[in-house]
Amino acid sequence: MRKSRRLDAKIELPLSEAFRISLEQIRKRFARSMIVVLSVALGIAFMSYLQMTNVILSAYMKQEGVVIEAYQSWLVIVSLFVCGVGLVNSMLIATYERYREIGTMKCLGALDQHILKLYLIEAFLFGLSGGVLGFILGSSIATLSSILQLGLNALWRIPLLETLQLLGLTLVLSVILSVIATAYPALKAAKLNPVEALRYDI
Amino acid sequence: MTSENIIETQDLSRHYQIGGNMVKALDSVDVQIKRGEYSSLVGPSGSGKTTLFNLIGGLDRPTKGKVYIDDVDIAKLDAYELAWLRCHKVGYIFQTFNLIPVLTASENVALPMIFAGKSRKERTEKAANLLKTVGLGERMNHRPVELSAGQQQRVAIARALANDPTIILADEPTGNLDLNTGLEIIEILRKLNTESGVTIIAATHDLKIINVSDSLFWLRDGKIERTERKNNSNREMQTTS
Ligand SMILES: Nc1ncnc2c1ncn2[C@@H]1O[C@H](COP(=O)(O)OP(=O)(O)OP(=O)(O)O)[C@@H](O)[C@H]1O
Ligand SMILES: [Mg+2]
Repeated sequence: MRKSRRLDAKIELPLSEAFRISLEQIRKRFARSMIVVLSVALGIAFMSYLQMTNVILSAYMKQEGVVIEAYQSWLVIVSLFVCGVGLVNSMLIATYERYREIGTMKCLGALDQHILKLYLIEAFLFGLSGGVLGFILGSSIATLSSILQLGLNALWRIPLLETLQLLGLTLVLSVILSVIATAYPALKAAKLNPVEALRYDI
Repeated sequence: MTSENIIETQDLSRHYQIGGNMVKALDSVDVQIKRGEYSSLVGPSGSGKTTLFNLIGGLDRPTKGKVYIDDVDIAKLDAYELAWLRCHKVGYIFQTFNLIPVLTASENVALPMIFAGKSRKERTEKAANLLKTVGLGERMNHRPVELSAGQQQRVAIARALANDPTIILADEPTGNLDLNTGLEIIEILRKLNTESGVTIIAATHDLKIINVSDSLFWLRDGKIERTERKNNSNREMQTTS
């Protein structure tokens, strides 16, 4: 009986299709999605600002042979936590808000992996766009304030490679945190009885 | 080889522990639903109708007892098989509709077809047809908030039909509808039942539904109080006359 049942109809959700659906979901909740992206971006901007300032200052010091008051690297670590906690928090809330929706999908025959696919693609896109936006914002402010402090000289001395490395690291961090912070509540909701998920109150 | 009961419950119970109190929402219920029948579940508010539906449909786990669908104990199904059952075999019409607010009527109806792996084209075409069937052809691109309760109920009905289920669990399917729309919905369900052999179980207070049913289950305080089976040939005569 089990075998024949598997054969006579499928339940699957190809990645490309999941991607289109996720994009649609983001578009439909545009205002909501933008708030999530912005809150991710703000945390990332704060962190990028500090790290970028660090990169610019240390490059400047090395090349000009001057010593500027040592930059507080502990602030970078603190900013990493602030950014991480804020990001995880907004992604958790955004997913908890959708427990009813997850419950409904389960009632209609969604597998846990369908739900994870749909929600993780969204989280990936939020993390990526929030990360890019945040990095542009944070590093621009860092560059501008360094120019104001040290003159245009600082601008020519910005090491491109390190900046790109920083961008890469920031994006990886932003995406990974978003995905984890979404996967946790989404999986929790998917594992509930559909009826419990439908009744769930935060 | 398949038995005549499509659904069977044994000693089915669902208890809730609230503080020191135990609520027996469902208490040792044994029902047999025959394949291809139109059954009604009747009982006062709080008697356990929704609870029974949730258990039969594999949406909730019983405290005690068993549910057999096609002679398979659904507690023994793995996650994939359970999802398959919800996707292809059972169509749910929820008392609270459970439509997804950001999706349009047509997208809500198409949702179960996504999980069934249907193509985008198939989904939109079928959703449009189903919405026309329930008389909502003009409201396809409206979101639930832009629809009346009765219209939302009809979207929920169309969605339940999306993957051509063999069982439909309808929790108060005419609860929010006026007399005429209610009759139309009953007619749709009736037609599915007689023409496609879909087994229908409806929770209802609606005498019109009770009149067309083959079997009646009276529920009170979580227990089956009475079961009535109507003579099949008798019904045929009634409907043809
Ligand atoms: N999650 C829950 N926690 C505690 N008690 C519950 C829960 N769900 C249902 N009950 C109780 O179970 C009983 C049966 O509820 P159910 O929703 O099945 O009734 P119903 O027959 O569908 O009523 P109605 O006609 O009003 O929809 C009620 O007394 C209700 O209070
Ligand atoms: Mg109910």
